[in-house]
Amino acid sequence: MIDGDDIDLIAAEYVLGTLPADERAAAARRARRESPLGEAIDAWSRRLGPLVEAILPREAPATIWPEIAARIDALEEVLQTPQQVTAEIIGIERRLGRWRAAAIAATALAASLMLFVGYSEVARAPEDKTLVAVLQKDAQSPAFLVSVDLETRVLTIRAVAAEPQRGKSYELWLVHDELKTPRSLGIVGDTPFTVVHPQLAGYSPKVIEQATLAISLEPEGGSPTGAPTGPVLFAGKLIQATK
Amino acid sequence: MLKPPAADLADLLARVAARDREAFAAVYKATSAKLWGIVVRILPRRALAEDVLQDVYVRIWERAETFDPAKASPITWMATIARNRAIDEVRRRAPISIEDAPEALEVEQGGLSPLDSAQQSEDLRRLQECLQGLDPVRREIVLLAYYNGLSREELAKRFAHPVATIKTWLHRSLAQLRKCLGS
Repeated sequence: MIDGDDIDLIAAEYVLGTLPADERAAAARRARRESPLGEAIDAWSRRLGPLVEAILPREAPATIWPEIAARIDALEEVLQTPQQVTAEIIGIERRLGRWRAAAIAATALAASLMLFVGYSEVARAPEDKTLVAVLQKDAQSPAFLVSVDLETRVLTIRAVAAEPQRGKSYELWLVHDELKTPRSLGIVGDTPFTVVHPQLAGYSPKVIEQATLAISLEPEGGSPTGAPTGPVLFAGKLIQATK
Repeated sequence: MLKPPAADLADLLARVAARDREAFAAVYKATSAKLWGIVVRILPRRALAEDVLQDVYVRIWERAETFDPAKASPITWMATIARNRAIDEVRRRAPISIEDAPEALEVEQGGLSPLDSAQQSEDLRRLQECLQGLDPVRREIVLLAYYNGLSREELAKRFAHPVATIKTWLHRSLAQLRKCLGS
């Protein structure tokens, strides 16, 4: 058990910024659940906060505001379309349920994902863009199927062949050169379908279209550092479902 | 730059919490230079700092409803989000070795107003007095960590002391500051 002095020093170093990445991430997680640490962090933020007064303002690059405005647009769009999102999930669930019932071999399953999603697109509005990906180790073993609606930025992921691992979590990452570091999209749940929403809202369609999705095996609850710490087990690129 | 009064910023944040885009644009206009100043000191690589500043404002938009004027001033609340995000980013990147990048230890010293500035708040004046009570090297260590986001390892290299010593010094300095400021 950690006593009060330790909590205070963790909080002080958290605010100062000198905790190593893993301890920093652990402190951030604990602060949410455990109020004494959260309160200690607030107190240290108040103690050291006056220091920012001395930082002189500098004009931010003009390109930043339009990017922020676009990200806010995307976020708001997602928040305003919950019904559509639900319908979409049910739709995908049905499609996947049919595949499962048919017990198609894994490689054929990967191929049919493209065909089936492509087929269903015919009836939809032309501006709808659905991307799909098969995350796999090699061509014989697709482990996760992913579908992304670019318009609503809703991602749905389903484990096909991946086995749940005791005490571990599968974490989904968005990887793109422009992002420099892999960005977590969250933990793939134990439920048949995990809907990732609205984490994608902050990324531009261009980035999402070109991105690689990767799954790493992390400690239960996800990477403690915010970056992948375990082995990357499966990866794949999004491709557009044919219309 | 004219500083908007805190009350105005608090009103704007309340409107941002109600998803008012105009108010959000006004908040950005009033605060982006300050937050850019904070972020770019910690992340001198411009492209990275730009990404982080974007994230900071997206978070401000998402969390505006959690802003509590009784707990912090609007600019302190936003500065905390900016510093946390910048430090998260700098901490999780692999430390740059000095051999590969000698400039890694060249830390920006400018961009700060003089310590005895007449405009500083009562809180800052009190904190400065307590910082003056620290040994000069230890004071510099605390300030380099706060303003430039240096890690224990980077501080250890810069001051040629073992990491464990830096950690001990940090803990003692912080405990001394806390005592000086009163809890």
